[in-house]
Amino acid sequence: MSDWSQVTRPIPVPNEWTKPFWDSAKQKILSLQRCQSCKHFQHPPYATCVNCMSIDLKFEPVTGQGTIYAYTIMYHTGDKRFASAVPYASIIVELENAPGALLPGNLLESSYTEAKVGRRVEVVFQELNDDFTLPQFRLVL
Amino acid sequence: MWDNRCKIAISGVGFSKATRTAETPLAAHALEAVQAAVADSGLNMSDIDGLATYPELPATGHAEIDGISIVSVNCMMAMLKLPHLTWHIQTGSVNIGGAVQQATNALLAGVCKYAVVWRAMHNPKGTYQNLPGSHAAGPTQFTGPYGFGGPGQGMAVAYTRWLERNNQNREKMATLAVTQRKHTHHNPHAYFYNVPLTKEDYLNSRMVAHPFCLYDCDIPVQGACAIVLTTAERARDLKPKPAYLAGYGQRLAFEVAGRIGSLSSYMEGGSSSAKLTWERSGFTPKDVDVAQIYDGFSASVIYGLESYGFCKEGEALDFIQEGRIELDGELPLNTFGGSLGTGRIHGLWHIIEGALQASGRAGSRQVKDVKVSFVGASAPIVQGTTFIFVNEPY
Repeated sequence: MSDWSQVTRPIPVPNEWTKPFWDSAKQKILSLQRCQSCKHFQHPPYATCVNCMSIDLKFEPVTGQGTIYAYTIMYHTGDKRFASAVPYASIIVELENAPGALLPGNLLESSYTEAKVGRRVEVVFQELNDDFTLPQFRLVL
Repeated sequence: MWDNRCKIAISGVGFSKATRTAETPLAAHALEAVQAAVADSGLNMSDIDGLATYPELPATGHAEIDGISIVSVNCMMAMLKLPHLTWHIQTGSVNIGGAVQQATNALLAGVCKYAVVWRAMHNPKGTYQNLPGSHAAGPTQFTGPYGFGGPGQGMAVAYTRWLERNNQNREKMATLAVTQRKHTHHNPHAYFYNVPLTKEDYLNSRMVAHPFCLYDCDIPVQGACAIVLTTAERARDLKPKPAYLAGYGQRLAFEVAGRIGSLSSYMEGGSSSAKLTWERSGFTPKDVDVAQIYDGFSASVIYGLESYGFCKEGEALDFIQEGRIELDGELPLNTFGGSLGTGRIHGLWHIIEGALQASGRAGSRQVKDVKVSFVGASAPIVQGTTFIFVNEPY
């Protein structure tokens, strides 16, 4: 299991597109930007719907269940903030009912060797500080 | 087919010495490469009237200082003081291939006669992807907090998907690294010239970001290369045999900043660029005698081979086996050593090698009877461009 205890994660800096995502995560709810015209979910948030060009976009809660779309296991210690955790798994999650929305995360509560494409995961929330909570993922066993 | 097929050609090419450290300022590297390319053409510097580059420093957390860590068009103008300069540009959206295409367009428009394109790459002191700081803004707000530190990881995630969905084994990539290193021994300008690499070296090397080991990543260097582009008519009057540009393309797929790992985006980027290039040139993958495919990270070659149409999706690691990419193979690949052999100078070196192979000027690594020479410059996802050079306009 990767030791995250000494890691200093950088704090996200929201902008006008992304603030609802982080506000929602702080309430331990995973919300994604959804086009109100064609119902397409997208992540990262964007100015327009990348499917139909609508500008009518709202954030809606999603289940937080999905599969590992892709992953990498980091061994390089160039990023000193994360050096103490290597090797660790950084994963990309594709959520059910939101194809194409790709969420980065870490694989928590399991060994990094458990990261495999297609494995089912669910969202868990990791408090960074009083203002920010990170959506993270663990295996659905 | 393209109305302007074979109307533009690459003439001279030039290189600076690629070094691991930045002892010589980058501007001097760029100047050396440009002077060498102009001399190779048999031109005088005062003949040059067009300038184009893509100046980005792909490292993170290092200042862009003109002449030290990038070489802008402005910097080159100051160094050369060209008396007849009529046109220049710096591109942003499709890396150095975009600069070559813009110079092509300028020549076709008749707004310059002899354009020089260079790519100069700096190797900063310390960690290349230097990610200090307590905050992650912009697109990195979704990646930085999870320890996605740089392009290596961004490329690695799609590669795991490719490997596992296709039941493939990363050890097969040793063939690419070892074969390209063999090609490197025919390229005295390359950083790894005469430095051997065995399959065992590859398999035993340290992991960087799984599935990438050390030899899947190009080594950062300080260096530059340059070309002279002109019209086919003018090129025929110059010293070297021209390499005629039969067609080009650029990626048409888009990607939202901060969205990483999408394998389909690599494939759509590559196939959209290649489609334009096949249609404009009138050739198909079966017509290609030699190929240069960008290999800043080894997996880019997989995405390139598949999305450009040289093999089916999921088959690229099998395609490169059994001598197929050797100099005398069915599809000689990255015959100059690729970025894995030369060091990280982005895609202009791939374009140069494509031109040298087309014009029969590749020396001891020349592939026999090259008529159609293909280049995929830059990773296909967001910066991809493709080119076809031919040895005679036909």
